[in-house]
Amino acid sequence: MDYSRPELADRLAAEYALGTLAGPAKRRFEALLPAHPALRDAVAAWQVRLQPLSQQIAPVTPSPQVWQRLQARLFADAAPASASAPRDAPWWQRLALWQGLSGLALAGVVGLGVLLAQPQPTQPPVVVVLAANADAGPGAVPASFVVSLNADGRSLVLKPVNAPALQATQAFELWAVPKDGAPRSLGLVSGSQGATVLRTGLLSGTAAFAVSLEPAGGSPTGAPTGPIVSLGKLQI
Amino acid sequence: MSLPSSPEPAELAQLLSRVALGDRQAFARLYERTAGLMLGIVLRIDRNRATAEDILQEVYVKVWRSAGSFDARMSQPVTWLGSIARHSAIDSLRRRQAQPSTVSTSVQGSDGDERDLLQDFVANEPGPAEALAQTHEARALRDCLRVLSGPQSQAVSLAFYQGLSYAEVASHLSQPLGTVKSWVRRGLQALKGCLEGNAGRA
Repeated sequence: MDYSRPELADRLAAEYALGTLAGPAKRRFEALLPAHPALRDAVAAWQVRLQPLSQQIAPVTPSPQVWQRLQARLFADAAPASASAPRDAPWWQRLALWQGLSGLALAGVVGLGVLLAQPQPTQPPVVVVLAANADAGPGAVPASFVVSLNADGRSLVLKPVNAPALQATQAFELWAVPKDGAPRSLGLVSGSQGATVLRTGLLSGTAAFAVSLEPAGGSPTGAPTGPIVSLGKLQI
Repeated sequence: MSLPSSPEPAELAQLLSRVALGDRQAFARLYERTAGLMLGIVLRIDRNRATAEDILQEVYVKVWRSAGSFDARMSQPVTWLGSIARHSAIDSLRRRQAQPSTVSTSVQGSDGDERDLLQDFVANEPGPAEALAQTHEARALRDCLRVLSGPQSQAVSLAFYQGLSYAEVASHLSQPLGTVKSWVRRGLQALKGCLEGNAGRA
């Protein structure tokens, strides 16, 4: 958009001052403001024009907690100074000190804000070792896997550690096993290469992961039918 | 805390310039003189008292951080502060409305009727034409709002006082989005022309 056209710039400034400019248009406009004095002047002029509308708004006394929280947030380094605190404290004159400290506090606030605004990709993955099940019974083949889960429970990577080659009539099937209730199938997995599973709620209510031996094509019933060859408890 | 009804612009401008230097006492005085008015402005847009006070806190964090960008030649302190308050409230409201699980409380009356808020606004709040008080600027704006058509004036007022987006104004007035945009844009241009005409004659 060509913001240098005066009438467009003025229209956007008016909509910005009024508050109807929204979404990406508003963000673009705000990003331009610091570098465009003419745009800033246009906004200021519109704010002045519309300001009398605010004159009919009655003041509402905020609760004292707002000021206390504000003090704690901006000036956490010192005891809260009430608005009526004595003036002319000697150290008070050292503006550079306060500028530095407030800068630090603000950097902290901004940093915290950035942290809070981010969706938490930084949590470590959850790793579960699926050990070969010694009690699998006759017909079972010993197999072990490692499962690595995203902390958000939306994706999972399974890698075989020690799994035998299967006959063409057999397949490994991965299950999420809840504490109570039926296991949920997460699909067939290979004994020779890794697999990625994308599901929601992989961690919610899941107590363990298990691999069962199933006929080719997977369990015909939706529940494990063959022996559980590999099992790992989820520990968070 | 005492809340003077009409803070002196010159005093506030001086306080703001000291706040820009990091003067906490000046910040405390500024807060004392203006927080009530700012909370009033925020509450017009976000009627939830608890979130409004959170927004008020954000407003003064921004004031503390950016007091240096206040330009006394361009606007009055209350105008500058009020713009920060309005934008903080609008941004906060839109952020929450963007979350799918959040129900907007500002567009529904107590009985759930969508138009209720507007009727409440028209019935109980003095409209711009009646309520603008003493100052020369306020008189000029009041006179110019009269120049606008009824729908233009109503759309501009809804956007200003409630912090509504075009789509929300359109929904309140049960009008197509394009119509409302054109009302607001033409209304604003008419306002500007009228105010500049008045200033030329003054």
